[in-house]
Amino acid sequence: MDNPLVSFTGVSKRFGQVWAVKSLDLSITRGEFVALMGPSGCGKTTTLRMLAGLEEPTEGTISIGGRVMNGVAAHERDTPMVWQSLALFPFLNVRENVEFGLKMRGVAKEERTSRAKEWLDRLGMSDFGDRGIEQLSGGQKQRVALARSLVTEPEMLLLDEPLSALDAHLVIRMQGVLSSLQRELGITFVYVTHSQSEAFSMADRVVIMGDGEIAQIGPPREIYRRPATRFVAEFVGRNNIFEGEARGNSLHSPLGTLPLPVTAFGPAVMAVAADRVSANRDRPGEGPSVKGRFLSEEFSGTSILCYFEGSDGSTIKAQVDEEALDLLAPSHGEVFWISWSTDAAHLVGS
Amino acid sequence: MATSSRYAFTWRLPMLIWQAAFFVVPLVFMAAISFWLVKNYRMEPDFILKNWSKMLGRGFFWDAYWITLWRASLAALVISLIAFPASYSLAYKVSESVRRWAVFFLIVPFFTSYLVRAYAWQVILAENGVVNAVLGQVGLGPFTMLNTGFGAMIGYLTLTLPLVIVLQTFSLSGVDRNQIEAAWNLGCSPLRTIVQVIVPSARVGLIIGAVFCFILTFGDFVSPFYLGGSKPPTLSILIIDTTKSGQQWPRAAVVALIMIATLFCTAFAAVSAAYRKRTR
Repeated sequence: MDNPLVSFTGVSKRFGQVWAVKSLDLSITRGEFVALMGPSGCGKTTTLRMLAGLEEPTEGTISIGGRVMNGVAAHERDTPMVWQSLALFPFLNVRENVEFGLKMRGVAKEERTSRAKEWLDRLGMSDFGDRGIEQLSGGQKQRVALARSLVTEPEMLLLDEPLSALDAHLVIRMQGVLSSLQRELGITFVYVTHSQSEAFSMADRVVIMGDGEIAQIGPPREIYRRPATRFVAEFVGRNNIFEGEARGNSLHSPLGTLPLPVTAFGPAVMAVAADRVSANRDRPGEGPSVKGRFLSEEFSGTSILCYFEGSDGSTIKAQVDEEALDLLAPSHGEVFWISWSTDAAHLVGS
Repeated sequence: MATSSRYAFTWRLPMLIWQAAFFVVPLVFMAAISFWLVKNYRMEPDFILKNWSKMLGRGFFWDAYWITLWRASLAALVISLIAFPASYSLAYKVSESVRRWAVFFLIVPFFTSYLVRAYAWQVILAENGVVNAVLGQVGLGPFTMLNTGFGAMIGYLTLTLPLVIVLQTFSLSGVDRNQIEAAWNLGCSPLRTIVQVIVPSARVGLIIGAVFCFILTFGDFVSPFYLGGSKPPTLSILIIDTTKSGQQWPRAAVVALIMIATLFCTAFAAVSAAYRKRTR
């Protein structure tokens, strides 16, 4: 980290009366895959746009490769971006779209053609060079947009929710394409998304943003297991939040006295990931337990999320597999014991 | 299927009736007249080709045709170019409310008759008019602006500039902002982006704007007559002259039909160029 490719130092951005980004500090290493993630309006896209020079920071400095980029126009930067809408040029064919960046840099015709062809080949689009943009499917357009951005061989690629317009099955495929491209090229990817699965499956580091500020930076696993704040715990989802008063090594919550993994005093929030929670019908399982009334189940991929209602009306989530659900056979309104081991609990800052 | 097409036909009917009554029927009638005979200042139904051969065989007709075509083409080009910077700033550089007011104020000129506005220009452009008075203060002029091609062009601007700006503004506003940013992002300077991305993207609207300008100026009578000095005559002046001299309505019909044919071809060519898909 001593020689970062990108560094944001105290960067703020104001639109009218609204601060979209507030004194942001962030360093990105060469070759890193960083995901900026957060709910809409959290400032993640503004942060990316400032990096591309499409927005000028109100305060603070952004440097790329040691060079301060404030005041450097978008077209003078080498920060190609993939747009959510892809922003391909419909009046140019596929090859001309890919050649566009090279043409602007004054690369000669023959070299342009051969480099565009190389990238179309690489992304499996070699037969589509003469096609119009409107004749392509969503996944094919995505590949053209990638080729167009990568053809100039940049050090860094910016991606603004590039997969959000695609069908679910294509998203998984394109995630694979993006991950392997990033590894092969060894260049930096800065990826903005609101999708946890995209961020966590591809990124080396995830930056969780909320309300214009960074809430937590870390590898996906760390953010998942050790959310720094209540906001992160809730945003990342599949976390059970217990709120109460810490008295030494127990948390006095409306659901009862629960053991804390650490010693603390005062108001506290404890998070327990849903996949580390078990539900039992007759007696509590090992470790701390609370009672919950079964509400509903939700299928997502291979796992099932069961929702329970605690005695104080809060929602408790338990992630189970299909086999466990069959064994449990919960019916609506039935009361279960929800248990976890103390080391699965994590005290978050509030 | 049959019901839905009958339904669609019912909705289309008013337009079809309108077009038939006020466009097709008069056009057919005019085409018929062009073959009629004028005898003792009276028209008689007939089928003679003399009107066509007399008009098309004369140099003055072709002089009028080419001057009209040239002026309308020049106006379409020049006015489109003059309108573009204004449209560009209205589409991209101002806030939504400023744009709304600007569009409103571009419509306001149409409240007053175009004839009145053309007369107003006579005062301004005359030998001893406002412009020459101001230029005279700094020791320039006087310039002859009235009764010249320049005067006619000023009139054409009065007639069509606001309309062309409105049409261009709408078409530029429709250009995907992300495409403009994508061009910058790929190393294209803002100025070059106008040529590389904005103009191709807004092509349809820009061409439609120029076509409107061409159509309105090609058939205009007011500007070439009151500001252009009617010498050389344009086709619309030629129509007036022809009808005045000896009730030659059939020959005027010939001129009108040639004008309609020219406009039809121009509009058709321009619209198909505008919507041409680039797929090879």
